[in-house]
Amino acid sequence: MRRAVAPLLAVTVALVLADSAVVTLALPDILQRLHTSVGQVAWVLIAFNLVLGLAAVPTAMGFARVQPRLVGAVGIAVFAGSSAWCALAQSIDVLIAARCLQAVGGALALVGCLELLVADYGERRGVATWVAAGVVGTASGPVVGGLLTQAFAWQAIFVVQVPFAALAVPAALFVPARPTLPRDRHRPAVRPNLTLALLSAALTAALFLLVLLLVDGWRQSPATAALAVSVVPLAALTARPLARLLRAPAEVETAVGCFLIAGGLVGLGIPPSADLAWTVAPQALVGLGLGLTVDRLTAQAMELRLPRVHHAGWTIGARHLGVVVGLAILTPVFTADLQDAQTPAQEAITSLVLDAPLQPQDKIAVAQALGRELTDQQGRVPDLHRAFASLDLDPEERPAAAKLERDLDGQLQRAATRAFRDSFLIGAGLALVALLTVLAPRRRSS
Amino acid sequence: MTGRGRLVGLPALALVLVGGVLGVELAHGGGRFEPLRSADPCVARKVTSQAHGMDALTERLVLLGLDGAACRLHLSREALTLELAQPGPRTDAEVDALRAGLLAAVQRMKDDGTLPPASDLVDEALGNADLNRFLEAAIRALPDAVVDAAVKVDDVLTRTIKDLDLRSILGELDDQHDLNEQINAAVTRAVKASIVARLRDLL
Repeated sequence: MRRAVAPLLAVTVALVLADSAVVTLALPDILQRLHTSVGQVAWVLIAFNLVLGLAAVPTAMGFARVQPRLVGAVGIAVFAGSSAWCALAQSIDVLIAARCLQAVGGALALVGCLELLVADYGERRGVATWVAAGVVGTASGPVVGGLLTQAFAWQAIFVVQVPFAALAVPAALFVPARPTLPRDRHRPAVRPNLTLALLSAALTAALFLLVLLLVDGWRQSPATAALAVSVVPLAALTARPLARLLRAPAEVETAVGCFLIAGGLVGLGIPPSADLAWTVAPQALVGLGLGLTVDRLTAQAMELRLPRVHHAGWTIGARHLGVVVGLAILTPVFTADLQDAQTPAQEAITSLVLDAPLQPQDKIAVAQALGRELTDQQGRVPDLHRAFASLDLDPEERPAAAKLERDLDGQLQRAATRAFRDSFLIGAGLALVALLTVLAPRRRSS
Repeated sequence: MTGRGRLVGLPALALVLVGGVLGVELAHGGGRFEPLRSADPCVARKVTSQAHGMDALTERLVLLGLDGAACRLHLSREALTLELAQPGPRTDAEVDALRAGLLAAVQRMKDDGTLPPASDLVDEALGNADLNRFLEAAIRALPDAVVDAAVKVDDVLTRTIKDLDLRSILGELDDQHDLNEQINAAVTRAVKASIVARLRDLL
């Protein structure tokens, strides 16, 4: 049991931080199953990050005099219980409420696990494990969520968290950590936390919008999208060995990381086609940037600052409020752009149908079926296959109809890609602002 | 690694990576992956049909007519089509533009020699018309040259388009049966009027 304690606590940290983006690939499924809108379903992400961001610092403040193992165990138990509640939710309102409670439990679990890992592993290794677990969780959340959604259903994302968290409760109680009341109190590190917040806002575009584009715009299955976005965590893992090889100073690493994220987001905004291969290299840039920045900035924000748990609270708050700011900026932009994309998409579809090499009566039938589908899917990217499947065509006409369907899908992919472009470019802009906070000259201390 | 190398190595690598990725994307059409833009309806386009006989003629006439109407209304052909597909009353401008567009389409097809002779259409037209059996058999027995001399397709189409209640037709696009009835009646009237006019000219 003793040897399993720290890994279980690290897994809990990764689970809580993965929850920031774990539902991203499940959002289209949730959208459909819970009969809600794009604007509402975004709150499944926003609510968790907002509550976690707001609760982190007060939780850390109130934590000082309490037994870490009690706080950790209670937090993990609340997190596990609310994860089960999320899985059972039958409406979007209940799911959002459960996500809020999950975030409160998550905030308690994160600060509790930090102290417990330090008690178990010692200061340096404990903090490093806590930071690394967070980076792994953040980067791999969408991948794991997508695979679970495809293999089972969106509820599976929450169900699998319950046993891990349930095992972590006795593990937390097992660590004999005491509350520490340091004599020194340091002010929060503004610059790394601000950079973290801006980068988290920028990364929202890669972790949230990219999967929506792949699943809703390019009609990829959640599993395919999950495999596609696994490039980000894989690239993040290669960042540290690369940094060790080139031995750049910490500030240079962070600045380069911001630049790579900005470049990767621009790349995601301008793919030459809807081929998944075009997302690989831009995602690799984003992953490298993430690997060079997030753990480095988190460590900078916490290094030699006491009480340690307060500063951990500030970094959690900065990261998750950054995600909320990112979602708050990007969601209205891309939903409005998706709305604006409808007219050019409909005109492109009309043009192809009018000029299609089909018999006139078949063109009319196609147009009527497409009209019904477009009317049913207001505000979403329509599934044209249902329209074509409903047609009773002459066998001779089927090859031309199949080509028309492919061409129309191509037009929808083009329209969706165009609709997401501005959001990716705004994300890149946020990463460049983060770069400015790194490059801005420091005040000389007298 | 030297101090300078540590400062420059990683930024230089990042510049190469970002420049390379964006450069390859732009070289392959990155940033231009957008929906098809509507063509200018005022520029003549080649219109073909997979159908034969009356269906092919009607399809080509409608497609060219839509172009002409859209050009007059300063809209794209696609925007006008989507507008006409919506239920609701039609404006005078839309009705007038569509009529003018269809008439211009007839003229264009006549000018470029793509209007079929009446003899190519007579069997199909007689099948749709509600005529006395003896009269129908008599018309079928006429040589093609006589039919083509008696009935000019461009004249029939022009008379039909002028006679049609386009506002009513546009309001009932979903009712295929009623649409066919209205058009057949207008075509029959136009054929009669055209033959009478030809006879008057001969006399």
